[in-house]
Amino acid sequence: MQTHPILKRTAKVTQRTSDKLAIAYLGEEVTLSGPAAQLFGKMLPYLDGANDIGKIAERIGESPRRVQTLSEELGKTGLLSFKDLSGKMTTGEEFYALHRRHVNEWLQPIYNHPFWENVVTGKASRAQVLGFAFEKYHYIEGAYEHMAIAAANSTPEMMPHLARHFIEEYNHGDIYRKGLQSLFPNDTILRAQPLPSTRALVNFLSESAAKNSFGYYAGNELLQMTENTGDAGDSSSIDDFYAAMRKHYPYTDKIIDAFIAHTNADQKLGHENVFLEMCQSVPPLTSAEVDAALNIVRSMAEHLYLFMDGIDTFYARFPTIPRLPSDLLSE
Amino acid sequence: MASLNQEFGIRRVYEAESRNASGVALKLSDREVDLGSKEYALYQKLAEEVPGIRSEKEIAADLGMSEPQLRRLLQAFASAGLFYRADTIPKTLSGVELHTLFNKVLPSWLNEAFSHPFWDKMMSGKGSRRLYSGWLIELYHYTRNANRHMPLSCAHTAEKKIKGMRAKHYAEEWNHYHYFLKALKALGFSGESIEGSVPLPMTLALSNFMRQAAREDIVSYSICSAVLEGTTVDRGAYNPYYETCAKLYDLPQESIAPIYAHLDLDVQYQHSDLFLDILSTIESMPAARAGRALEYGHQLIEHIWLWTDSIDKYYAIDGNSIPRPAFSQALD
Repeated sequence: MQTHPILKRTAKVTQRTSDKLAIAYLGEEVTLSGPAAQLFGKMLPYLDGANDIGKIAERIGESPRRVQTLSEELGKTGLLSFKDLSGKMTTGEEFYALHRRHVNEWLQPIYNHPFWENVVTGKASRAQVLGFAFEKYHYIEGAYEHMAIAAANSTPEMMPHLARHFIEEYNHGDIYRKGLQSLFPNDTILRAQPLPSTRALVNFLSESAAKNSFGYYAGNELLQMTENTGDAGDSSSIDDFYAAMRKHYPYTDKIIDAFIAHTNADQKLGHENVFLEMCQSVPPLTSAEVDAALNIVRSMAEHLYLFMDGIDTFYARFPTIPRLPSDLLSE
Repeated sequence: MASLNQEFGIRRVYEAESRNASGVALKLSDREVDLGSKEYALYQKLAEEVPGIRSEKEIAADLGMSEPQLRRLLQAFASAGLFYRADTIPKTLSGVELHTLFNKVLPSWLNEAFSHPFWDKMMSGKGSRRLYSGWLIELYHYTRNANRHMPLSCAHTAEKKIKGMRAKHYAEEWNHYHYFLKALKALGFSGESIEGSVPLPMTLALSNFMRQAAREDIVSYSICSAVLEGTTVDRGAYNPYYETCAKLYDLPQESIAPIYAHLDLDVQYQHSDLFLDILSTIESMPAARAGRALEYGHQLIEHIWLWTDSIDKYYAIDGNSIPRPAFSQALD
């Protein structure tokens, strides 16, 4: 029997009419009406995990059976959870489903960032557009750091996945470098410095890789989901983005070729099922392990947003491109 | 013949101040260069082209001049201090010489770090108690995260003398986050909510960047540490900020007093002298090592600017959690 229900912090309850309410959670909405809406409204102040079903029923003057039934139904949608008093473990496959659900929500601010629209409409500056290319290069080149650290610090069951990951992707930065060589000398590209926000993303990947193999890969999966999408709808909007970029910024032609070459290289690796296979191979996770891994994933989404926002904000305020390193006379 | 990008370096311009029709004043760390509108356009073009792949001939043709004319123009800009010849960079320098150089550029660096509009917003009354509190929460995390990088710098230092200096610094600083916790409690936050919260990504990025420096080179780490100390030594610069915020946003005195106590302690320990003490032990270092250290120092300045930007953007939104709770499967 499930006890101690908790309404998820990110769920938003909206009273539509006197006997109808909606609960929005992770992009979906549950609507309650009539007696169910009235019952939920009475239960709402007690859905904090501190009260068991019997106590809630007693406080609101309802039968425990009604409170239990509604709690279980809402539990199936995910917007209500139950304080885990049983020490229940989460299987890798359950984690995979949980990961997918949250990641789709956490990626939304990245897809909605105004930078994309500014490029598509030609409002982005030269520094922002070339900055985007340089920062993508630095981020992909960062594989030498975080993927290597991940392989070197992996748990036994994660080692084959992380070793293969590094070996297959460490040289992908060269694809971006080739694009940048259409505008800058090789030595300049190699010496160029990333933005703090790009450095933040690479360093966060490296730090995660050193301390939590599974969490690192779960976070990396979020990044992969934005890179090697095989979804027809997503591919079409990426194509539209590149077409608009070529139109407004013709000097980025070779750079865009490199972007596309990288997407193709990623897709050829057939990595789309690797995370699921990895989840299937790990032992069941405690709730603390699930929280640790999903904290890394959520933070990865925030770092990816920071990466995008850094390009948009920093190059608007400090438009120097490329970002050459300091020497004894430069400062 | 070397290409232009190998031959010339570009001085960092900290600010370009428009003088309306009469041109632009470019502010460098050691001078101000006034350029007319036409000269400024030429400077911008060269600053864009010099690091690029186009040949001298192509750049000259694009500017409608001959190659000798382009050379003369570059030389004129170099004489004004906007460019420099790469072959004039010294091959080596002493630790004390690096410190002298650092002292010369630090004011320009700090001006850049604090050039974010957040500060004017807070001082003009356009901020809020929420924004002030958010900034203080991130300052708490940043100070607490010293425990993630200060001991690491000792672990990665080979020289015994420097290792000892860094260890002493850590011993004196490790628990300073308590001052910020005390200030936050006075603002109404519970200790539990602050201690269990997670920092903004850019706050975490600051300590991750310091960890990166600690692993790479103790001189690079120490210049970052000196920049951070440089942000706290001048009480004259910070008191007005706290006093004004206290008045504008109705902050209790108990939320300000611990911060003053912390600033006073930093001054008392004389941590701002530590970088010179460390560099004094280094008789000579290659220019590349010193250049890399300067790069670390300046990137830390950029981190501070972007950190401020993140605080401003996140805490300005009323619906965002304050403090930010960690993810929990049960609660989220």
